[in-house]
Amino acid sequence: MKINIQHLRHAYDTEVLSNLNFSIEGYHSIAIIGASGSGKSTLLRILSSLEKPSSGTVTINDASISSKDYKDRIGFVFQNHNLFPHLTLRRNISLILEKTRGFSFKEADDTALKFLSIVQLEDQVNKLPKNISGGQAQRASLARAFSLNPDIVFLDEPTSALDPVLTYEVLTTVKGLKGLGKSFIFVTHVMSFVKDFADYVIFMDKGKIIEHGKPSILTNPQTEELQRYISYTY
Amino acid sequence: MKTLLFKTLKNFKTFLVSKFFAYILALITFIGFLVFVIASRDTQFELTKLIGEYGNLIFRGFFNTIWISLITLVGSLIVGFILYVLSLSKIYYFVALVDVFTEIIYGTPLLVMIILMAFLIGPAFDNFDRPFLGITGLILYIAPFMKNVFKSGFSSIPKDQYMAMDLFGFNVFQRYQYIIIPQVIRILMPPFMNNFSLIIKGSALLYLLAFPELYYGIYVAQSRSFLFVEGYILLWMLYLVITVPLSQFTKWIEKKIIG
Repeated sequence: MKINIQHLRHAYDTEVLSNLNFSIEGYHSIAIIGASGSGKSTLLRILSSLEKPSSGTVTINDASISSKDYKDRIGFVFQNHNLFPHLTLRRNISLILEKTRGFSFKEADDTALKFLSIVQLEDQVNKLPKNISGGQAQRASLARAFSLNPDIVFLDEPTSALDPVLTYEVLTTVKGLKGLGKSFIFVTHVMSFVKDFADYVIFMDKGKIIEHGKPSILTNPQTEELQRYISYTY
Repeated sequence: MKTLLFKTLKNFKTFLVSKFFAYILALITFIGFLVFVIASRDTQFELTKLIGEYGNLIFRGFFNTIWISLITLVGSLIVGFILYVLSLSKIYYFVALVDVFTEIIYGTPLLVMIILMAFLIGPAFDNFDRPFLGITGLILYIAPFMKNVFKSGFSSIPKDQYMAMDLFGFNVFQRYQYIIIPQVIRILMPPFMNNFSLIIKGSALLYLLAFPELYYGIYVAQSRSFLFVEGYILLWMLYLVITVPLSQFTKWIEKKIIG
């Protein structure tokens, strides 16, 4: 995966991202870490084209993220699963495939079942999101993201609403999905997962990228900010 | 023999504490109260005479009330939806217009609204069709209430869901058809039904325009027969005949769809 960010700025009321310039190539699993309010979730939402930046350009794999078909090539897993509450798990997936990707009803349904069984939810497919656990819902959300056959999957703090047991369950599922050959960009507070899963780490603080590199930067932080962050999270 | 008696007693006890019995008892309480106040009168109670002589007039009014209420329901849903869409407009004049209109209606008695429609606003546009103007007044009066129902329904869908719809590439119609409406219909049904009950009762004021709805029918029957109390009691009963099944239906829908 190749990422190129130039003069990226983003502001809501105050500036959230201030003039980011950054480029890397050749990594497949990129973690963005930092304290709450550091701008990491905003960066993830801009990279996934969910939000439009105030200014600046971003290209991923040499294609602009504002290009029309970019959204068709990515998957996104939200903080709180964000499944449509009135649809069963299988319909949550098949509706998208059927209405926006040109699948027939049967193809869409088969694909939905296939991906739900990959995340071990084959016995829950006809349930509504409110009738399953948070961990199961987040796994269904992973299945939804992967069923769209994306090049890149974004994960926005997928376990922040879950207790340690469910966190483990979801992160194990994510690790299992690595075999499908997709690239990942994710935000998380679970440092052990970053160490196991990421091949590149970006550390942010106050809207800037402070430090970035292989996961070994976590054991040997160069900046005071990252040292402090790590001392809090361990 | 002893066990049978015990069993019967036990069954009777469960019946006494059952919800069903409680409702029967509550109903009997109110009916008993009604019978008491009627029986306390010095004059005779001649409900059957009223129905016998003016039944046709009254029941025509009854059905007129039902169909104008249905027309008003559909009309106020449409106007309410238009108001809702205008309140989202980027042209702020429209937003302000809807806001001011809503405030004015909230502070206006329905009686005033209907009279003004029929005797001031209608004639200004060369329209003297009183039933039409009366129903239009009713529709305009209920529309802001409907607008607020739409507003609370649609705003109950979180921002993240809109983001997801955008990300997955649903177009505007697909969003409403598959995602938004199926979710909000569950939230909207009960308040819509409450407003419908408001419409049914509000339609009684159309008697002011001599529109032959239920109250007008009763009013005419009363002034000819001088059976005033009987007329009001019949009126009351007939409104209950419409609104009680409606509210039970609403509760059933709530259970069925939301539950």
